Amino acid sequence: MGRYVLGRVVQAVAVLWAAFTVTFAILYLLPSDPVQLQLGAAGMDTDKLTPQQLNAFEAKYGLDESLPRQYVDHLVAALHGDFGSSIAQQGTPVTDLLTQRIGVTLQLTVAAAVLTVLIGGGLAFVATFVEWRPLRTFLTRLPAVGASFPQFFIALFLIQFLSFKLGWLPATGSVGLKSLVMPALTISVLTSSVLAQVLIKSFDETLQQSFVVTARAKGLSRGAVHLKHCLRNAALPAMTILGVIVGLTVTSSIVVETIFTRQGIGQLAQQSVLSQDVPVVLAIVTLAAAVFVTVNLVVDLLYPLLDPRIAHVRKVAHA
Amino acid sequence: MTTIRRPGRPTRRRTTSALALAAAGVLLLAGCGGDSDASGGSGGDGGEPVKGGTLNVSFFPDNPTFKCVDPFQVYWIEHRTVIRNWADSLTDQDPETGEIKPWLAESWEVSDDGLTYTFHLKDGVTFSNGEPLDAQAVADNAQGWIDTVKATNGAAYGASYILGLQSAKAVDPATVEFDFTTPNSSFLQASSTTNLAIIDPTAYAETPEDRCLGKGLFGSGAFTLDHYTPDKEVVLKKRDTPYTSASSLVDNQGDAYLDEVKFDYVAEDSVRVGNLTSGVIDIAWPRNPITPEDQEVIKASGATVESRSLPGVSYTQFANASAGRVLSDPAVRHAILKATDVKTYAETIFGPDYPVVAGPFDATTPYFKDESDKLAYDPDGAEQLLDDAGWKVGDDGYRSKDGQALKIVLPVTQFSAGPELLQDQLKQVGINLELHTLTTAEQSTYLTAGDYDLTQTYFTRADPGALQFILNPDLSNSKALANNAASPEQIARIKELFAQAVQSTDDDQTAQAYADLQDYLVDEAIVFPIFERVQTAGVSAGVHGFAFTSESFLRLNDLWKS
Repeated sequence: MGRYVLGRVVQAVAVLWAAFTVTFAILYLLPSDPVQLQLGAAGMDTDKLTPQQLNAFEAKYGLDESLPRQYVDHLVAALHGDFGSSIAQQGTPVTDLLTQRIGVTLQLTVAAAVLTVLIGGGLAFVATFVEWRPLRTFLTRLPAVGASFPQFFIALFLIQFLSFKLGWLPATGSVGLKSLVMPALTISVLTSSVLAQVLIKSFDETLQQSFVVTARAKGLSRGAVHLKHCLRNAALPAMTILGVIVGLTVTSSIVVETIFTRQGIGQLAQQSVLSQDVPVVLAIVTLAAAVFVTVNLVVDLLYPLLDPRIAHVRKVAHA
Repeated sequence: MTTIRRPGRPTRRRTTSALALAAAGVLLLAGCGGDSDASGGSGGDGGEPVKGGTLNVSFFPDNPTFKCVDPFQVYWIEHRTVIRNWADSLTDQDPETGEIKPWLAESWEVSDDGLTYTFHLKDGVTFSNGEPLDAQAVADNAQGWIDTVKATNGAAYGASYILGLQSAKAVDPATVEFDFTTPNSSFLQASSTTNLAIIDPTAYAETPEDRCLGKGLFGSGAFTLDHYTPDKEVVLKKRDTPYTSASSLVDNQGDAYLDEVKFDYVAEDSVRVGNLTSGVIDIAWPRNPITPEDQEVIKASGATVESRSLPGVSYTQFANASAGRVLSDPAVRHAILKATDVKTYAETIFGPDYPVVAGPFDATTPYFKDESDKLAYDPDGAEQLLDDAGWKVGDDGYRSKDGQALKIVLPVTQFSAGPELLQDQLKQVGINLELHTLTTAEQSTYLTAGDYDLTQTYFTRADPGALQFILNPDLSNSKALANNAASPEQIARIKELFAQAVQSTDDDQTAQAYADLQDYLVDEAIVFPIFERVQTAGVSAGVHGFAFTSESFLRLNDLWKS
């Protein structure tokens, strides 16, 4: 078990390092640089500046160092939790930007995750529980529809009705519980569809298992078998895609926060990519990778606890 | 970050004029779109102004690359609108006539050689933090501008407003003198802009970066800058001490009616419009003109749409006419002017009431000259020109000459209806306009690489001198663009006309030089105007006293909510 945990942790750290390095490479391989972009946005070209002015500009952002040197500097600083300063935001430390905004995004992802489990899990449960064929078919197909809708469409649709027509919820902002409802709902349409698809499939497979027949034969009700016996077994594959779902909520927050004007990490990511604010993009990708890696690590570590068979197999394998 | 603290701000324009630099002519409101006029669409109605309340205004997203509210450094027109309401300037510019009017300065003189500007300040004006706005404060601002240009390696936007400025000094507490190394007749207009707004000079002890985020900024306007949170909001509060320095151009010479103004950033057009029609916000102030469809929605809700052309260089294309390029042939350049139907462009892209561009400047620019006769749509004339120049139509409908195809590369950042419409119009006369979608990386390099035939730009400033920063290679924001746009002889002539306009202290001469310049640019097919740039705003029915400044920014002195 100790080796298993160690292996997973090492793997997680390696993934994190790779994410950082690949992002750095991509951002720095782009032949343009932030100085040009910043000048460009003001309608200026670098040829307006004298070479001395240009050099001074580059030195200010550390762009005059060699690429390997910049990489090492960034990596070492990042290990100390320092991601440098934003270029677009006038030298504000990146960590300040992230801490200001992380709360907004965290609220959104947690709310979306809760909705995802409730909606996705509930749908899968009902879809596999009902016996009337047409309804069962309808419910089983529903996730495919939900997963196909573009999020901006859902967002605008919700805003149109709940904000502009009915005036129940604010269309913009990140203050208060009300502002959270539509963004979380928008994200969860996609994520709960993904979850429901997987759960329905594994429910169906679990229902074929012989222990279900045994349980029924012992006189347990369908509901009890479904809830107690099937759910626990069917939930295992769903755990696996938890990491994917977390990833989806992070990427979704880019679109959703932009449409709903929430000042979160997603909105920051979108703007930083546009302005090629390299330190900020690097930090956000690293943060997202860290979240992703952590969730998957937790899932990996939980497996043996949830399903003794997994730990057992491991033990055998290492024996 | 972001915070700034409350201050107050007083002053705006007020009376007594002296040398009123008249901006020649035109400045019409005619340039304004269908509805509105310059100084106040919904003003005047609604009876006695109501005091108090919060005004909510929504912009499009904050500047992605440069978050800044420091007057001198800002080019972002939304933030110039905000600044207009917390910082006053030495002079003001009449939106209707282009004339320069008194504001913080009650009068001024320009020396005969054009090298010295002397301003006589209004008495007793203070910044919102209580510091006096006297001659020394103004002189310290001038030094602050000069230092900022240095500190930002020339990138500060305000640099273009103080060309030739050497120093400033307080002659006595109410008199300040600006000294120039070379004459710069557009400085008087510059003194009316937000970029040269006067702030408490202690702000210049902060770094340019900190000032951008609002640190230490106190103006003398009717509102104070409460705080700026990039990407989120800018909040103004009514000045808590009496406002005594209103511009001569506003009706309300006292304190602002509103208690607070909140500007936020909404990316999605439909959300911004929906928030307006459902009463969540009072003013929708997008960068791009509100579409005809959205205008219908806004009007149906009882709100109005105000609009005014943004003064300065219109949305204009410039050629790469350097040797070997297709557009070095004057016949082709003239043919493009004739084959471009700017009227249809305005109607198709922006709607039936949209003003049609009539020259390299928008109609609200002082000294604007209407060139629409020369820009008239004439496809037959275009074909004639090309035939005479030896460009023959081939089997594919496009022309060529001696094996060289008549292909013109127009780099675009994304596909949109405008360039495609141009492509179609030019195709009618056998010109192949190729839209080249730029990658992010190419966007910053294609000009210097000369990798284009046509490109476009604009510049918002209520003075024709704005065009120098595009077409005069010595001053241009892109040397490559300026050098490619015309032949060396033409460039020399352009510089000569600008020099005549800028170095003269005789307004008639300046007007003549600018008129000649506009004729010359169109006659030589150096500019290819595409559309008039219009600031539109959706304004809810409860808002009264709405007004545009001469730069088509929002002016809040007379504004109140019922």
